[in-house]
Amino acid sequence: MDIYLPIAEVSVNAGILVLLGAVVGFISGLFGIGGGFLMTPILLWMGIPPVVAVASEANHVAASSASSVISYSRKRQVDFRMGGVLAAGGAVGALLGVEVFRWLRLMGQADLVVSLSYLIFLGLIGGLMLVESVGSVLRQRRGQPPAKRRDRRPVWLYGLPFKVRFPRSRLYISVIPPVILGVFVGILSAIMGVGGGFILVPAMVYILRMPAGVVVGTSLFQIIITTSLASILQAGRNQSVDIVLATLLLLGGVLGAQFGARASSRFRAEELRALLGLIVLIMGLQMGLVLFITPEDPFILVGSGK
Amino acid sequence: MVTPALPPPAIVAPEPGPTVSAALTDANVRVTSAFSGAQIVLYGAVFDPETRPSDVVVIVRGPDQPIRIARKVRVAGLWVNSRPVVFEGAPGFYMAASSRPLTEIASFSTLRRLGAGIDHLPMNAPEEERIETRYGVRDVVVSRLGGDYLEWRRAVIRLKEKASLYATDHEGVRFVDRGLFRAEIDLPTSAPIGEYQTEIILFQDGEPVSRRARTITVEKAGLERWLFLFANEQPWLYGIVSVLIALTSGWLASVVFRRR
Repeated sequence: MDIYLPIAEVSVNAGILVLLGAVVGFISGLFGIGGGFLMTPILLWMGIPPVVAVASEANHVAASSASSVISYSRKRQVDFRMGGVLAAGGAVGALLGVEVFRWLRLMGQADLVVSLSYLIFLGLIGGLMLVESVGSVLRQRRGQPPAKRRDRRPVWLYGLPFKVRFPRSRLYISVIPPVILGVFVGILSAIMGVGGGFILVPAMVYILRMPAGVVVGTSLFQIIITTSLASILQAGRNQSVDIVLATLLLLGGVLGAQFGARASSRFRAEELRALLGLIVLIMGLQMGLVLFITPEDPFILVGSGK
Repeated sequence: MVTPALPPPAIVAPEPGPTVSAALTDANVRVTSAFSGAQIVLYGAVFDPETRPSDVVVIVRGPDQPIRIARKVRVAGLWVNSRPVVFEGAPGFYMAASSRPLTEIASFSTLRRLGAGIDHLPMNAPEEERIETRYGVRDVVVSRLGGDYLEWRRAVIRLKEKASLYATDHEGVRFVDRGLFRAEIDLPTSAPIGEYQTEIILFQDGEPVSRRARTITVEKAGLERWLFLFANEQPWLYGIVSVLIALTSGWLASVVFRRR
């Protein structure tokens, strides 16, 4: 059934959108990520204008994260204090990001920055995740002991002022690194239409040295706050949230997320990470490809000057 | 914003000269959630006591929309967009249908005067222009695009044609019977909202002898209209509502699944 989207002003198949929402929701529940990095490129390929895709996807990510964060919170796997600090940074980042995106669009460079961000961040993180997890899977197969994790906490994390206790993460660190991390992820969420879980999760593990158990839940909690805010800002500043598009996506999304969360217990963590790394890497390369291919037409319409 | 792009229709001469008359099957296109483009049929008749050879040209011009176009350039091995050029005065939709190729119907200057045909659209890029004195002549308008101007203009038309927003059809006006003609206007899904000025011009011996104007209105209707107005008139409330929907449905799903 084709449906005309009131803000995107294109006609799309409603069934396909619900199905896509469900598939991405499943992946999101399985890996404990928002899934925006998968959905935004798909929406762009379907012909949804980039501004609308990025803004509406923030809304969809908020929904599927809300759907899975509740089960993490029941298992006491959310560090609300750390999530709050990250989200405070995320709020500032989202404010900045929406303005940056507006400016980039006026300069006609939004496409370039979106493609480059995907190529760099997804390529880098996907590649690292894949190498690291394939390595540990192989070591396990050979019966070798897992690589020793460098547990020495970096000095700079402790030398900074404004130290705060994070009991659930068993940390006593400065709030500056999490706030900066939050700002960075907030900017990305506004520009790339992602929640930023694929950056937050590794950053929380390797930079903040949070215990693995609370990382995913906390990241989801911060993503809800950042994407909700980004979504309101995009609607308020750019009038670019398509409520029909977002609703269709989240219909499938919230259900898929529940099934994904259930399925995740059937896989081993390393295998899941390897699979996620592969998906992230492929998306990054796919989005970056356009920068290297000679365009069919040397000219491109860059949206009406709204 | 709709600017009257075409001159008002000529008053039909009272003496029995050749005249043209036309009607649309649908002057009001409602964009609802089921909208997937529209086809409007224009019927018309030529009244001419002397039955001289007649040509009919139908011009449909949608609301003006500034066009931002960029050129892909290669920088350090990467294809990136140049600074965009903004063209003003270009309609968001344009169709020129005629019973014969326009160049056979009338002279270049006549077509230019009437603004008939894609080549005669008054498009310009004011931000690229500056006024200077050249060869002692003051107030000369110079475009920074220089000789590339035509290439940019052609690119705008090519890309718009690809999106089915601009069309030229040399056989679009067909005479179905003596003096009776029809033309089809295809609006794609991406057709802009607003008033479309439709002009029907009767040519004889290369001169426009009679003109008629009709207006097509494309407007969002029903839920589409309501949501569009909500998003544009109360954007912050709209944003909050959409986030509430998202969070509530996420929460509902997790509650429903917990019970099972």
